[in-house]
Amino acid sequence: MKPAPFAYCRPDSVAEAVEVLASSESSRVLAGGQSLIPAMNFRLTDVSVLVDIRAIAGLDSVTVDADGVTVGAAATQSRVLADAGAARAVPGLRAALRHVGHLQIRNRGTVCGSLAHADPAAELPALAVATDARIRVTGPGGRREIAARDFFCGPFWTALEDGELVTEAWFPATRPDSVTVVDELARRAGDFAVAGLVAMIDASDGAVRTSRLVGFGVGGAPLRLGSAEAALAGWSAGRPTADIEQAAAADCADAFDDIHATSWYRREAVAALVLRAARTALAAKEQL
Amino acid sequence: MSLDIDPRIRHRTRHIGRSVPRREDRGPLTGASRYVADIKIGGMLEAAFVRSVEAHARIVSIDTSQAEALDGVEAVFVAADLADVKSFPDYISYIGSVRQRPLASDRVRYVGAAYAAVVASDRYVAEDAAALVAAGTVYEPLAAVADLDQAMAPDAVRLFDHWDSNISVDVNPSRPEVDRAFAEADHTFAETYTSQRQTGLPMETRGVVADPSDGNLTVWTSTQSPHMVRTAVALMLGVPEPQVRVIHPTVGGGFGTKTHTYPEDVVVPWMARRLGRPVRWIEDRAENLVASAHAREQRHDVEVAYDDDGTIRAVRCTSILDMGSGEIFMPGTAPVFVTNACITGGYDFANMAARTVGVVTNKTPSGAYRGFGIPEGAFVMERIIDRVARLTGTDRVELRRRMLLRPGQTPYVMHGGGRLDSGSHRQSFEQALPDALAALARARARHAGDDDVRVGVGYCNYVEPTSPSYHLTTGHWGGHDSATVRVDPDGSVRVAAGLSAMGQGAETVAAQLAADALGVLPEQVTVVLGDTERAPYGLGSWGSRGAMMLAGGVLMASERLMDKARRIAAHLLEADDSDIVLTDGAFHVAGSPAPSVSWAEVGTTAWVRTVDLPEGVEAGLETSGFYHPENLKHHLDADGRINAAASWANGTHIAIVSVRVSTGEVSVEDYIVVHDCGTVINPALVDGQVHGGVVQGLAGALYEHFQYDPDTAQPKFSSFMDYLVPTCAETPPMTVGHRESPPPDQPLGVKGCGEGGTVGPPAAVAGAVSDALADWDIDLTACPVTPVAVRAAVRAAETAGRGPRGSR
Amino acid sequence: MTSEALTEVAVGITVNGRLSRHRVPARLLLSDYIRDVAGLTGTHVGCEHGYCGSCTVIVDGDAVRSCLMLAAQADGAEIRTVEDLADSATGALSPMQQAFHDHHALQCGFCTAGFLMTLESVDPAEWRSPERTVELLSGNLCRCTGYQNITEAVAAAWSTNHEEGGTQHG
Ligand SMILES: Cc1cc2nc3c(=O)[nH]c(=O)nc-3n(C[C@H](O)[C@H](O)[C@H](O)COP(=O)(O)OP(=O)(O)OC[C@H]3O[C@@H](n4cnc5c(N)ncnc54)[C@H](O)[C@@H]3O)c2cc1C
Ligand code: FES
Ligand code: FES
Repeated sequence: MKPAPFAYCRPDSVAEAVEVLASSESSRVLAGGQSLIPAMNFRLTDVSVLVDIRAIAGLDSVTVDADGVTVGAAATQSRVLADAGAARAVPGLRAALRHVGHLQIRNRGTVCGSLAHADPAAELPALAVATDARIRVTGPGGRREIAARDFFCGPFWTALEDGELVTEAWFPATRPDSVTVVDELARRAGDFAVAGLVAMIDASDGAVRTSRLVGFGVGGAPLRLGSAEAALAGWSAGRPTADIEQAAAADCADAFDDIHATSWYRREAVAALVLRAARTALAAKEQL
Repeated sequence: MSLDIDPRIRHRTRHIGRSVPRREDRGPLTGASRYVADIKIGGMLEAAFVRSVEAHARIVSIDTSQAEALDGVEAVFVAADLADVKSFPDYISYIGSVRQRPLASDRVRYVGAAYAAVVASDRYVAEDAAALVAAGTVYEPLAAVADLDQAMAPDAVRLFDHWDSNISVDVNPSRPEVDRAFAEADHTFAETYTSQRQTGLPMETRGVVADPSDGNLTVWTSTQSPHMVRTAVALMLGVPEPQVRVIHPTVGGGFGTKTHTYPEDVVVPWMARRLGRPVRWIEDRAENLVASAHAREQRHDVEVAYDDDGTIRAVRCTSILDMGSGEIFMPGTAPVFVTNACITGGYDFANMAARTVGVVTNKTPSGAYRGFGIPEGAFVMERIIDRVARLTGTDRVELRRRMLLRPGQTPYVMHGGGRLDSGSHRQSFEQALPDALAALARARARHAGDDDVRVGVGYCNYVEPTSPSYHLTTGHWGGHDSATVRVDPDGSVRVAAGLSAMGQGAETVAAQLAADALGVLPEQVTVVLGDTERAPYGLGSWGSRGAMMLAGGVLMASERLMDKARRIAAHLLEADDSDIVLTDGAFHVAGSPAPSVSWAEVGTTAWVRTVDLPEGVEAGLETSGFYHPENLKHHLDADGRINAAASWANGTHIAIVSVRVSTGEVSVEDYIVVHDCGTVINPALVDGQVHGGVVQGLAGALYEHFQYDPDTAQPKFSSFMDYLVPTCAETPPMTVGHRESPPPDQPLGVKGCGEGGTVGPPAAVAGAVSDALADWDIDLTACPVTPVAVRAAVRAAETAGRGPRGSR
Repeated sequence: MTSEALTEVAVGITVNGRLSRHRVPARLLLSDYIRDVAGLTGTHVGCEHGYCGSCTVIVDGDAVRSCLMLAAQADGAEIRTVEDLADSATGALSPMQQAFHDHHALQCGFCTAGFLMTLESVDPAEWRSPERTVELLSGNLCRCTGYQNITEAVAAAWSTNHEEGGTQHG
């Protein structure tokens, strides 16, 4: 399991990186390498030039302000996980990152790399969609900003064009009265989710008012659970759940089958996660 | 801990029975150990194998030219190049011969079968070249046989043209008494139980380094049986056996997978000889998952006859093993025979008709994995007992109590001839119950008030044949093992044994045994294992035989050595042999500690100052013991029965689980073991064996499963992301209790303990989950118990109108 | 380094305090660099896809999978491996190594270096609780021990008592 030959470079600037990326067809950005290198070790990915972005000055920054959190492309998952300010501004970041791999993976893996990689079972893309994050990229055609909901097109497939580099991701600050829950069913600690959910829930007087529910591991890309959101509005603990479960399952009608679970299991699991999240959010509100 | 010590050494036992710290630890703790991948020899080349990507195909042609042209490539070999190498022998007459070539020639029968090999300057280049050979291979695909039903279908494609079906073996002894019981019983039911495909998965993959210099052939291989590898390599390459030296360096786990002699064990030395240079091949994990033995894929078609009061009158069981392609040496058929032999566990139940079938399919060959068929059978038996209890309204614990062997019932002969020489079958269960019930109560309390979580308990009472016959498994080897004990001029002791060490602590145990047998400290004992040049011929470590065979060999050799040492000491002390005793490492006349003679003086006399030897005593102080356990049989008796193990350990496992009904998640909350392997030589090591075994068993109960595409027989796994080895987060707290029922006929009263841990978990967990879901009347018949499996069972029950009132 | 893409790269890597410079293939994995170039075979390779943790080493203070890093990426880095844990002068084991020995927390030992390096990289104060310890260790597979003795060894080595100089085990 050794990678096939390739060339490696470590540019100092975004401009240089973009230039190399554009110059060769099967060039690839190397961020944390925690998804790319395993794929290369299995010789599943054809790469001629690897562009290591970790030496680019400033790319590893994590900035928190009143509007939100900006995570540079070289900032590791561990670094973001440890950032208390980021966790206050966007609680979902910490909640999601706790489910990502293991310490050793997070010490190298980047938040932006996870977004660019777009694994359908990954937590961060779903978080990005749930929080309305924006992904900022630079490419041969200059810079642009892509809304998370437009960024994820399918399994391992994003709106990135050839030669484009994600430079940072911006996560808007979560309103303080909203509760974020990131929950998933995984076979083992640290595994990718068999089914997962990012829920941002507003509740008052013991009932859910509005929610934003994004499933992962249930479709080719993060999946907004529109019907479940509608069914959940007004729900309080102890009320019937069948409608919500049905709605959530309907939202995931196209959930896939793989060796870890069947499609119907994923639908049921998401329904269970939605209820779990709602209960958690209501309980959290009560504590306040 | 109370200890029944063999009277021959009782008076000087100081280390046996103690948790003597392991001498093996320092190497791995500091990084100083040498595993096979750490061996580096000047001028060494690296190999990669080219493996079939087809499940079943003819190889039409292989174009190696591109690979050969690559910079750094020394050679590319295909099957035709190895024409002078003999095939792996087909020693067992009653199973289908597979005529396995070291490299697959015209036909490949599973994804992962090696059909070419590349040797290059390093592994990176070797893999580049292997990819080119793969790209240059033209296959003619054949229909693939993906499972037992396909394999046994009348119109099935045959894997071997010289067979008339895909059935390798089918043994069906008649048991008229079973038929009678079926006729008389109140009720019967039929069920099919299955256990899934898994593997031992040592953290260290396999690897072979071969050095052909000096006209000799030295082979380092990560194996559990170096002598057997030597015999096979010498035979197949046509090299005199004394010119082949096989060494296993530090081995990073084996768990049965490394008992086999694999094609690479033969091809790498052949390539080294051919090229005149050392060659190294280290299996990578992708290879490991398809090219090292799989195991455990069995189906059990069962009929049970029982009475209203819960009495099980008789069981018929057809056990069918999916052997994969069968191309493995030694063959992979034995585990399913063991399944049937051990199926009745610790129960007084012999009214059993067991048919044993082995079938080939287009999957990785099945072979040995710790447990070797025992867990599969235990699963069937415990599921049967739970079912009968439920059908007749009998308490599951009471039914087991009624059935378990009681004190005084041993020796007990099982339906297949297994002779349970001693044991604590009922007592172990009774000992485990209070802890289990307390744990159950704790788990219930923990989840009280959560409607979605159900708690259950499951049981398994098993027996573990230890030090089994290798004749039944290999058709060639027997069941002995050996040790040579030497005392050097300075009084140091050296023990060399044919056993292997893969992490169990065999060296520490050998030192404890020799220390007590010779009245020295373990620190004074040097232990040599795993080297055919330095240790006598032995069969290696598998079948829970290490401790037992070491005890046999070391004590036998030590006993002989002591006789001689006593004579020498007596002569030096001018006393009578029979008056000499050994205290604290010094020989003296009984009752008078001085004058005394030390081991160094005895050793020096034996080897150096031989002029001081008594008349008629030869020089030297080295003896060997070739131990063969008394009760171990290798041939069936007239009834077709056999006691194929030297002794039988036993144990009780109880699992406490919680099940989240809405998601099907199962969590093992507590795991209780009471274990009886006779005399415990080193309690810490035995606990370690149990812990590790239990977690492997839980892996089979809940996680690990090699899945293949049902149409193409293509593996649906390629990494640890798909083959779910549990981490510590999936591991429950374990409580391990011991009992000691030493077998009367074994030196020291030792039985083996290597495999028992793996046996109980599938049965105990499936029983516990079924118990937790009793309101739905769920009765699981297969592992792994995945969330999907649980949800499927709940849905099926609810569709059929079963389930607790008012539940979801 | 500039943006020139090379199939062979010059690296200067400090392993266990010793800096060496080599030209290595761009594709050389750090695990292979440590084992073959630096000659330190205590770091083991169990999967080469980032799951098993046997290859864990410390890079600039953080535990990482050396099979998921290129040697090229480690240019300029400081790396610690298992060979660096025991006292080089006296050979005395580190407290965690000693605890592994005392609690029979290794059998075949193939996984051990990875566990030790993971543990060495973190602040016990942050990971001491049983739940956190399990979370931490879940990034390393062991096939032999069943983990129970490993968690016990860690608890013993990290007990506050131990830090005050008390002994945990005999
Ligand atoms: C054992 C293991 C367990 C894991 N478990 C999880 C888990 O539970 N959840 C989870 O979400 N992830 C998991 N991961 C994946 C991990 O989070 C990865 O780090 C992440 O998916 C990719 O980030 P990276 O920085 O390592 O990217 P890399 O591996 O470097 O790159 C991944 C892909 O994204 C591209 N890319 C990276 N950065 C950029 C950029 N800035 N611009 C454009 N393209 C870019 C690369 O070219 C490549 O195609 C696991 C990984 C391992 C090995
Ligand atoms: S070898 Fe690196 S994680 Fe397994
Ligand atoms: S001790 Fe063998 S894998 Fe951990």
